[in-house]
Amino acid sequence: MKRILPFIIILVVLAVALGSAWYLTRTIPATPILGSQSPSSSSSQPPATPGSSIAQQQTTAPVQGVPGADPPHVLGPADAPIKLEEFGDFECPPCGMFHPILQQMHTEFGDKLQITFREFPLVPTHQHALAAASAAEAAGLQGKFWEMHDLLYEHQNDWKKEFDVRPIFEGYAKQIGIDVERYKRDMNGDLVAQRIFADGKRGHSLGVKGTPTVFMNGREVPFENLPADKLRVVIQNEMRGK
Amino acid sequence: MKKIYVVAALLALVGLADALYLTIEHLTGQSVRCTIISGCSAVLSSPYAVVAGVPLAAIGAAAYFTVFSLAILTLFGYHWAGRIMRAMVITMFAISVWLMYLQAFVIREFCQYCLLSALITTTLLVVTVVAPRLVRGGAAV
Repeated sequence: MKRILPFIIILVVLAVALGSAWYLTRTIPATPILGSQSPSSSSSQPPATPGSSIAQQQTTAPVQGVPGADPPHVLGPADAPIKLEEFGDFECPPCGMFHPILQQMHTEFGDKLQITFREFPLVPTHQHALAAASAAEAAGLQGKFWEMHDLLYEHQNDWKKEFDVRPIFEGYAKQIGIDVERYKRDMNGDLVAQRIFADGKRGHSLGVKGTPTVFMNGREVPFENLPADKLRVVIQNEMRGK
Repeated sequence: MKKIYVVAALLALVGLADALYLTIEHLTGQSVRCTIISGCSAVLSSPYAVVAGVPLAAIGAAAYFTVFSLAILTLFGYHWAGRIMRAMVITMFAISVWLMYLQAFVIREFCQYCLLSALITTTLLVVTVVAPRLVRGGAAV
């Protein structure tokens, strides 16, 4: 018995380890990395059907939260039936991957979709997140928020590992044609700080823990439903329910 | 001397649980979202998190399970297993040093579960390789 006892112990531990892994991978929904989905898929995707890969619960219960920065950064008409509110961090790689997905949804759904961006810089996880949020908000004070927003995401890999990002962001400010001196003053001004703080406060009141977090008509869209193919179906289903 | 292998087996079990957790995080993508406290999203979504298509965390789990098995076998009198275990622990420590370097200087993000794994591997090295040598050296003097 003593000779086989160690093998029994080893087999028991192996069974427990494999059993736990199997159970946990089955209970936690698989989440493909954002951006690994085909961004060129057409909008004629099949709707969600029972047994499809869309998470069964497409959104969570509606939440209200405190107001964020006012006025918010909004794309699309106020009377759009679908309102998406994204809490994003310009330095967060998954947010960078989500950026083209949201652009694609904007193109596909047009006036039926309104997109709001909320600042949620993850400090201190991302060293330049706050500077990037400030740059976007400072550009926003000159009416060019979305232009700066797009540049920050599209060139995320160019600046996130740099030591000093200010000259890079000033280059973006020049590129989008805003008054750079005013932009530099606004970057460190109270108004920009207050806007970021207000958006962060709203995020915390809604239970946002990470980025990107997206709410659709006040209900959180689970992270696993954010890849393009799934988000499209979630939006289509929401429109059908309206 | 037997205590060493009991401690090694227990440490390997903790390491196994940690590596299994990281494997599940990797496979399900739970760490892919950026969060306030975790650098795991950057680490697990980096190209260094996969070796030949296999998540590095899964390889770590297999390594910890092997160390556990070898420690148990040694405890029950299979002395050859102790030598293999020590060689494995030294290899795992070397890989841990490399992974710490990657986190600190290449990815520039730290994942707390990866840090725990590095701590366990370092403790395993101390318990199974360094301490017995020191004890033997002290006894010789």
